[in-house]
Amino acid sequence: MGAEPGVTVRLTRQDVLRRAVGRRLEEVRYYAHLFRRSPLGLAGLVIVVAFIGIALLAPLLAPANPIDPYLIPKTFITDPQPPSSEFVFGTGPFGTDIYYGVVWGTRISIRIAFTLVALSFLVGLVVGGVSGYLGGRIESVLMRVTDLFMSLPGLVLAMAVAAVLGRSIENLILALALVWWPSYARIMRGETLRVKHEGFVEAARALGVRPRAIVFRHIVPNAIGPLLVIATMDLGTTVLVASALSFIGLGAQPGTAEWGLMISDGRNWILDGRWWTVAFPGLAIFSFVLGWNLLGDSIRDLLDPKLRR
Amino acid sequence: MNALVRYVVRRILGTIPILLALTVIIFFLTRLIGDPASAYVTPQMGPAEIARIKEIYHFNDPIPTQYYHYMLGLLRGDWGYSRSQGIPVLAAIVSFLPATIELAVAAFLLSFFGGIALGTVSAVKRDRPIDHATRLFALGGYALPGFFLGLLLLYVFYTQLRWVGPGRLSDVVVLAEFPPGGGFQEYTGFLLLDSVLNGNGRVFVDAAVHLVLPAITLAAGSMALVTRVMRSSMLDVLGREYVRTARAKGLEESIVIRRHARRNALVPVTTVAGVYFGGLIGYAVMVELVFLWPGLGRWGARAALTLDHAAILGFALVVGMVYIVSNLVVDIAYAYLDPRIRIGRA
Repeated sequence: MGAEPGVTVRLTRQDVLRRAVGRRLEEVRYYAHLFRRSPLGLAGLVIVVAFIGIALLAPLLAPANPIDPYLIPKTFITDPQPPSSEFVFGTGPFGTDIYYGVVWGTRISIRIAFTLVALSFLVGLVVGGVSGYLGGRIESVLMRVTDLFMSLPGLVLAMAVAAVLGRSIENLILALALVWWPSYARIMRGETLRVKHEGFVEAARALGVRPRAIVFRHIVPNAIGPLLVIATMDLGTTVLVASALSFIGLGAQPGTAEWGLMISDGRNWILDGRWWTVAFPGLAIFSFVLGWNLLGDSIRDLLDPKLRR
Repeated sequence: MNALVRYVVRRILGTIPILLALTVIIFFLTRLIGDPASAYVTPQMGPAEIARIKEIYHFNDPIPTQYYHYMLGLLRGDWGYSRSQGIPVLAAIVSFLPATIELAVAAFLLSFFGGIALGTVSAVKRDRPIDHATRLFALGGYALPGFFLGLLLLYVFYTQLRWVGPGRLSDVVVLAEFPPGGGFQEYTGFLLLDSVLNGNGRVFVDAAVHLVLPAITLAAGSMALVTRVMRSSMLDVLGREYVRTARAKGLEESIVIRRHARRNALVPVTTVAGVYFGGLIGYAVMVELVFLWPGLGRWGARAALTLDHAAILGFALVVGMVYIVSNLVVDIAYAYLDPRIRIGRA
């Protein structure tokens, strides 16, 4: 495509790729420069990186429970004990080590966040992309279904589904994915409709590029931006909602290192003055959600030229 | 006006298929697990009696036929029997709904007006310390799980300070004012309203005091949202020409902000408000569990945990109705305010 008339330019596939990558790298460098000036975004990045580090280093930070690393090991003291040198965050009901739960709970939270967001993202991408690109009857059916799910109370529907499927983290993710994808689908459809009529897509079509290539090379990469911003923020929000369902008792099995469940276990003890049973897992959820939100928020500001100052 | 009426009718009719779909989804889901007849069976019953119950309630029929009978029952006012509560579903809803609505409305008012005030101040004092504090609150309030905030508030105000405990009323007040000890009449189930009707100041004050912490807990997340929307909308409006004109003609700054800027900045906030009111009813589940609030959410959570079929259905249906109706009210209000909506297709 890039050849000038009369000049034979032999561009190998690799050359084209290298140029494209170079251009993208420049863009990334530019955004990184902008990002460095956003203190809240940087704070978010630090928090997020810290949590990923904790998740990766979990076996070093808290030696894994030989029975199952995601079950919190128990001591013999069933009465919650305040933070001490042996148990830095104190112990919870049934003698659970709260520090262990917070550390290994990070892995569970990251797993919930990434699986749930990836599922919603993929379903939303396909449903929204297909309806935006094809239009017609397929679009009206798919969008009718999307609207239906959006007009139902998501939390309550997820509660019912999680209750029916049974108590496990996988089922919790499934129940939440069922109510989470529609917003992705709706945004993807809007973006696809916008991109579909852009000049470069028309040009590609006029050049006889196959539909599949148009969709995957031109439409998807250009429509996906807003979805990625929402996904970043949702990595926090999903954990907020999942921990709420876990708090109700519709998530992880008892004894699991899951933050919402730990708070639920500690809720009678905090009223008895044992604040650490709730405070540490609560702070973990709070900072996890805050980190992703700060990050997502500043990425959105970055991509929106109107908000640049 | 005619177009508006037509719009309203179309939107109301449009909610019917949504509610139907909700019942279909939940009904078929709950039929996947357990035995719905278990709600009616007691240990004393023999096999013949159990078979009779299955026949009466059509539990042997194919599931679509069962759904048909369930829907007939719904229309007749027979919503089934809540096993976890030991009373009919409709009776449970009637007794639990007022407590939840009272909580949700209090949280809504708090988050709506609090958010508008914070957002306005934040925008007017842009980049000053109060703006930074407000933005921090808006980000933090969103990330704070409601059940965690509720427990923290209870720890401070109940465990440490002994000011107010969980529940809707103190035991002392219940013993003194409610039958058999007192003559308090429950007309509506809304305690604040009932205490006014009874002319009972003691119950009113006690109920109001007990409402504060749960309402704050439920409001925090949405207040953060309203604050954010209000701040950005206000910043947008403050840069418009008519605001500059108002300032240029020498109006006092407070009047410019109140009459010219804030009034116009309210439109996007109102839209957001209607959408989250329905959500508040759902999130009330967590708050009710924390504060032992005898509302719909606690019943719904127990129903979900004990697989109480009819109660799960009833709960989802009521929350769905509140959710859909509050969306509808906002859309209609919006169409009333903005003629472009009702002329264009919905």
